Amino acid sequence: MNGSNRLAGLTARPKETSAEEVRRVDEVGEARGFLDRTPRKKPGRKPSPRTYQLHPKVFPRVGEAIAAEAERLGITQGQLIERMWDTYSSN
Amino acid sequence: MGAEVTVLDCDPNKSLSRWASHGMPKGVSLLSDIGRSEIVPAIRTADGDGKIVIVDLEGIASQLVSRAISQADLVIVPMQATALDAEIGSEALALVREEEDALGREIRQAVVLTKTSAAVKSRVQRELEEQLRGAGIDVIEPSLVARAAFSEIFAYGGDLTAMMNDPEMMTGGKVEKALKNAQSFTEAVYERLK
Repeated sequence: MNGSNRLAGLTARPKETSAEEVRRVDEVGEARGFLDRTPRKKPGRKPSPRTYQLHPKVFPRVGEAIAAEAERLGITQGQLIERMWDTYSSN
Repeated sequence: MGAEVTVLDCDPNKSLSRWASHGMPKGVSLLSDIGRSEIVPAIRTADGDGKIVIVDLEGIASQLVSRAISQADLVIVPMQATALDAEIGSEALALVREEEDALGREIRQAVVLTKTSAAVKSRVQRELEEQLRGAGIDVIEPSLVARAAFSEIFAYGGDLTAMMNDPEMMTGGKVEKALKNAQSFTEAVYERLK
C-alpha cells in the first residue's frame, strides 16, 4: 500500500465547535497574547461620490423650507435637490 | 485512490497561494483568505474520513492561530535551529498545552526543525533537539533540510515528483534528495496521525 493510500485510510476525529468552545479557546489564546489581529476597516466615513457643488441664492423662505424638508426626510439638501431634479426631468 | 487534501492558506504572505498559482498536484485544493471567523467552519467542512486538511498559519500570535489549533489532530511547529525561533515556537507549544487543558482533550504537537544542513548536524541544532526532547517535546525526524528544490517549488508549482520528471524545471539542487527528505517527513507525520 503506498503512502497516499494509507493517508486515505485515516479517519476523522470530530471535534466540538460550539460557540462556547470557541469562546474558551479565544480566552486561553488572549491570555497568551494570541489576539484578534483582523485588519481593522479604515476609520471615518467614506468620501461622498457627490463632488459637484451648486451655489444658488434663493429667498430665505425657500431656503428654510428646503432645509426643513431635507431634515424631515433624513437626507442632505443635495439629495433633496437631486430628487427635485429627477421629478422635474421626468415631467 | 489517494487522500483528498485541502490546504488552507491563512498566512498573510500567501506563500501557498503563490505556489498554487503555478499549478497544483492532483487531489489538492486550496482555500485562501480565511479569517478568524471562517477558520473553524472551513476546517470542519473540509475534514472527513480519508481527508487531510493542512492549515498554514501566520507566524504571529493571533486568535486565528488559537482557533485553528483547537481543531487540529496534530500541530506542527516549524522552527529553525536558532534561539529566537525556539523562543517564538515555545509560545505556540505553550498555547497548545493550555488549549488541551481548556478543551479537556489531547492535541498532539510536534516540532520540526527546518532549513537544516544536509551535510552535518550543527552543534546548535543538536543542543536544541536535546533541549526540546528534554522538555518532553516531540521532535519530528527527519528535519527539513535546506534544499534548493524546496524553495524552487514556489516558482514552478506542482510537486517534487513533477519537478524531478520535468527536464524543463531547472533546480540548483538534487530533487531526488529533497523528495526523499519530504517522503520521510510525511511518513513521520503519518505515524503521528494514525
